[in-house]
Amino acid sequence: MGLISEPDRETIRNHFEESLEGDVEIVMFTERESPIIIPGKEPCEMCAQTEELLKEVASLSDKVELSVKDISTAKEEAEALGIDRVPAFVLKGAARGRVRFFGIPSGYEFSGFIADLVDVSAGTTDLSEETREYLAALTEDVNIKVFTTPT
Amino acid sequence: MAVESSHVTGDVIEAMEFPDLAQRYGVRGVPKIVINETTEFVGALPEDQYLEHVRAAVEASSQ
Repeated sequence: MGLISEPDRETIRNHFEESLEGDVEIVMFTERESPIIIPGKEPCEMCAQTEELLKEVASLSDKVELSVKDISTAKEEAEALGIDRVPAFVLKGAARGRVRFFGIPSGYEFSGFIADLVDVSAGTTDLSEETREYLAALTEDVNIKVFTTPT
Repeated sequence: MAVESSHVTGDVIEAMEFPDLAQRYGVRGVPKIVINETTEFVGALPEDQYLEHVRAAVEASSQ
C-alpha cells in the first residue's frame, strides 16, 4: 500500500499523460538514517516519507525522474541550489527560474506540487499575459516564499 | 512565477516541519507569502493583486 491511493495514481497518471511536455527531474536532498545516534541532533522526521511520495509520483510518468542525494555528501550541489535543510527538492525542467520545495508536499499542497511539476515540464504557466510580460522583463532577483501546511 | 522568469526563485515551505522558519517569518495563517523578505500577505489573492505585491517588493528592494 503506497502513500497515493490507486484511484489517485490513475488520475495523476492520466493527467501526466495529457499535460507533461518535456522531462522533469526532481532532485531531492535527504538525510539517511544514521546507525550512530548523535546527541542533540534531531533525526529527519519526514525524509523517508517524502522520498517515498516522490518515488510514487515519479513512477507515474516516464517523463518524471527522481534523483535522491544525501545532503551530507552532496553538500556543494545543495549549496548551489540554496538548500540548507531536509527534506527538500528542486524541480528541474523547462522553468526559467528555480522552484524549490522544503518539507513534504502532502495534503492540500500535493495538488499544487503536481501543478508545478506540469508547469516546469512545459516551461509556461496559465498566468495572464500582463503577469508573464512583467516577469519576463524583470532584471532583479525576486524570491517568493509560500508557507503552507498539509491541512 | 518562477517558471516564467530566470530572476524568480519560488520556495514552498511546509511550516509545521520547519517551525524555525515559520517563527522567523511570523507565520500564523497559511498560505503566507513573503516576497524578498520585505513584502508579505496571507491568503490566496487574485492574480492581479498578487502581482501588485511582487511589484511593490521589487520596487522596495531596488531603492
